[in-house]
Amino acid sequence: MLEERIRRMTQERLELAKKLGFWDCNVWLGRPEGFPLAEEIPPERLSEVLDERLITGGLVSHWRGKTVSPQQGNESVLQDLRGQSKALFAVWTGLPLFPSELGPVPGSTETPKEVRGVRIFPKSHHFPMTDWCVGSLCEWLIDRRMPLFIWHTELDWPSMYQIAKTFPALSIVIETQVQKILYHTRPLFLLMRDCRNVLVELSNFVGQGFVEYAAREFGAHRLIFGSFLPVNDPLVAMGMILDAEIPEEQKALMAGGNLRRLANEVRK
Amino acid sequence: MSNGFFIDAHLHIGHIGAFFAPLVQQKDLLLAMDNAGISHSICMDHLTVFEGAGAGLEPLRDLFETSGRRVYYLGTFDPRRASACVDALKQAKDWPGFVGLKLHPSMHGVPADDPVYEQAWRFAADHNLAIMSHSWSASSYNPVQFLSTPERFEVQIRKFPQVHFVLGHAGGRGTGRHDAVRMANEYPCVYLDIAGDIFDYRLLEKLVQSVPVEKILYGSDFPWMDPRSRLSHVLLADIEDSIKGKILRGNAIRVYRLGVS
Repeated sequence: MLEERIRRMTQERLELAKKLGFWDCNVWLGRPEGFPLAEEIPPERLSEVLDERLITGGLVSHWRGKTVSPQQGNESVLQDLRGQSKALFAVWTGLPLFPSELGPVPGSTETPKEVRGVRIFPKSHHFPMTDWCVGSLCEWLIDRRMPLFIWHTELDWPSMYQIAKTFPALSIVIETQVQKILYHTRPLFLLMRDCRNVLVELSNFVGQGFVEYAAREFGAHRLIFGSFLPVNDPLVAMGMILDAEIPEEQKALMAGGNLRRLANEVRK
Repeated sequence: MSNGFFIDAHLHIGHIGAFFAPLVQQKDLLLAMDNAGISHSICMDHLTVFEGAGAGLEPLRDLFETSGRRVYYLGTFDPRRASACVDALKQAKDWPGFVGLKLHPSMHGVPADDPVYEQAWRFAADHNLAIMSHSWSASSYNPVQFLSTPERFEVQIRKFPQVHFVLGHAGGRGTGRHDAVRMANEYPCVYLDIAGDIFDYRLLEKLVQSVPVEKILYGSDFPWMDPRSRLSHVLLADIEDSIKGKILRGNAIRVYRLGVS
């Protein structure tokens, strides 16, 4: 009886996951930093790994964009995405637009059409998350209708609030890695209440009832599925959506609808 | 009454100041269990985790009864308040639903290999109780985790090999996992629970290949983590349904000697 129940629950989840069409904003190539148990995904196995975990497309980043340099990471992610069979696009790593930097970074070169988002690492790359420092990059992103991604561990909340308020046309995706976002949900939820341009990525958005709470308080259009592959298993965030006590249309938005919209809105 | 089947071997109840947690009371816990198909659970309230069993295990005893005997509980041994804890554990040892001891060396600031813990292990051995402890890997951003690395528990495991001992969080997300896996293979009564945010890619697939499947227990760490976050991780893992059944139910019944058929 137990095995039968498990079989049925598994089958129900598989069918719903296929129906929802998961798109992942948080897939990483390259060697993960700070997670000794995580293994790099070889680019030639990327589609297979995503297939196995029921992911049909999404945005891919490269660890080198943080660990080595934005330029190296941006080159690597484009190179590794070449020839991929899935609907996969790139997230580039960005820097302040001044002083202008050489190489493939947002603002200094024509942005390839595969790039559908920019992530910044203010703490790791040593610049403040302030208007006078990143404001021109924010305007550049708004011109292209391109979303900004940022790990919560790379921001400070007062500056994030100020940027989100100053640039309401900029879609900002707060990512719940690389440590628990749980300890920071008080400022996160205040930020989401006050700034409708802020969205949250779901790979570690796992506090009790958070998905229902955020859908109710802020709207399902503010939540975006992300896995943090290959560090995290996509089944974790996927399970939070599959089992959420919300209408299926809302699940579909979180699973992929919101991200597809963001990616498709980018001016090519 | 629940129509659930699974057993969540690691969860909590009660308010906690460290983060926003609006769903922490008994009704929230029971609803979360129902939503995830969980029939029974092993609970520790935040007050006694922080301050030890001496702060009072009566609310947990009452929870067991008022939950319809669904929520079993552990008594926390805080080495800073050892005497008060042992007194409270002695009082609780025959209470229905009391199934073991909880340790948290990182929170209590006393390393797991400190001799002060021997009285807790002896108590568990004398009364046929399990012990579950927080365990983690050495961490650059959370240095107190070095107090709970798995190998530190081996001193007492060797002295009390008959005690069912569960490494909570399976040694964490770093090198502690290697020791946790080694110990689950080396010691017959050492087990691993998968509570907390050890959300590693293919965690279940890797664990069932590296330790006996009888050694793995499903746990969520509610309300820190929603039980649903872990449920699909197990259900959709590429492992046999019979193994999922052991992880989600059978193993916890055996390890904690639950009075559940």
